[in-house]
Amino acid sequence: MSAMTCDRLKELAPELALGVLPAQERARAVAHLDRCAGCREYVEQLTLVGDGLLGLLPGTEPPVGFETRVVDRLSRSRPAPPRRLRLRVAAAAAAVACAFGFGGWAVGTALDDAPAPLSAQDQGHPALLQAALVANGHEVGRIFAYPGSPGWVYMSVDLVGLEKGAGEKVHCRLERSDGTTVPVGSFTLKGGYGYWGAPAPVDAATVSGAQLLAADGSVLATAHFPPRDAPS
Amino acid sequence: MQRMGLPLGRATDEALLSGLTTGDPEIAVAFVRRFQRIVFGVAIAVVGDPQLAEDIAQQTFERAWRHAQIYDSRRGSVKTWLTTIAHNLAIDAVRARRASPVAPEDLDALLDIVTDTPEQQALADETSARIRSAVAALPREQARALVMAGIYGMTAQQIAEFERIPLGTAKTRIRTATRKLRTTLGTEASRR
Ligand SMILES: [Zn+2]
Repeated sequence: MSAMTCDRLKELAPELALGVLPAQERARAVAHLDRCAGCREYVEQLTLVGDGLLGLLPGTEPPVGFETRVVDRLSRSRPAPPRRLRLRVAAAAAAVACAFGFGGWAVGTALDDAPAPLSAQDQGHPALLQAALVANGHEVGRIFAYPGSPGWVYMSVDLVGLEKGAGEKVHCRLERSDGTTVPVGSFTLKGGYGYWGAPAPVDAATVSGAQLLAADGSVLATAHFPPRDAPS
Repeated sequence: MQRMGLPLGRATDEALLSGLTTGDPEIAVAFVRRFQRIVFGVAIAVVGDPQLAEDIAQQTFERAWRHAQIYDSRRGSVKTWLTTIAHNLAIDAVRARRASPVAPEDLDALLDIVTDTPEQQALADETSARIRSAVAALPREQARALVMAGIYGMTAQQIAEFERIPLGTAKTRIRTATRKLRTTLGTEASRR
């Protein structure tokens, strides 16, 4: 990826914060934010503008019976026993928050704010695993896997320029050190770009990497988590 | 969930959200009841279609319920969090469905609503009131660009085509409007 200056980033920041920056520029902007605290702060402020704008939309009464239908659906799809656990790893909270719109750049923000992996473990929290997603020798995204309870996986992918997978449904699976794999879910890329997060069982003792698969089962990108005793 | 005699209707937003994870249906009802107008309001404003808006609102509550444990109050209120989830789902739905993200008459109607200063504004929180008057004070073409990007999720390219203006002009309008609003917010943001 070519370098992006702070000046250029600040030009793109409004579109980035409003979530309308095209994928390719977005990927480069995100890479810059990952290493530039000043620009992150700036984009965060602009994100508040977007939030404020949405806050001006008037409330509207949904159709009759909405409340009952929602609660029915929630009670039918309950996947896990009740828990009151609250994760305290800042990165964990923010990385999944990203899946809802803060965008990939917030991952970098969160990781800077997060406690070091070792101190997180001291507090009884497992360390967040992260690795680059690589296709044809190029980094095309990042994956984060949290081996807690509940565990989850989050990733951002930018396959713009690759022939395969640009506008299709992709599948993610985790690899174990014994060579077996576990499917964790699928999502759709738009113009080659996408980010996605979901609850997933992540076993810190055995997870070794991840694969991103095209609809036809071919491997689009792979990731390898660093060895457990060398937190990145 | 602290339910010792306290009516659920008076629990804080955060307490209700964390109560969702207990699986108590009464808490789920209270949560949905409190936020359904906001969530549905965002969905219908963006997609315009009541049936699709209901789907989006339902999905929003499902996501919130599934991810209640990892909501982080330091990154915004529960209301903002839900609004963001609903907005992203709505934009995705619009992008998947329609070639043009907005009809001109819908844009004008929404712009009027967003910049309107109704009597209820006295009841709204101060931040919303300030943003509302800041949007109202923008030149109309900047306010349109801001609403197209920030609410309808249109790219600068789409805005340029919609308004029949050069791409650079569309970008400038988005930038100028966003920065003006940031200045409005900045005077009160003492987050650091
Ligand atoms: Zn910078």
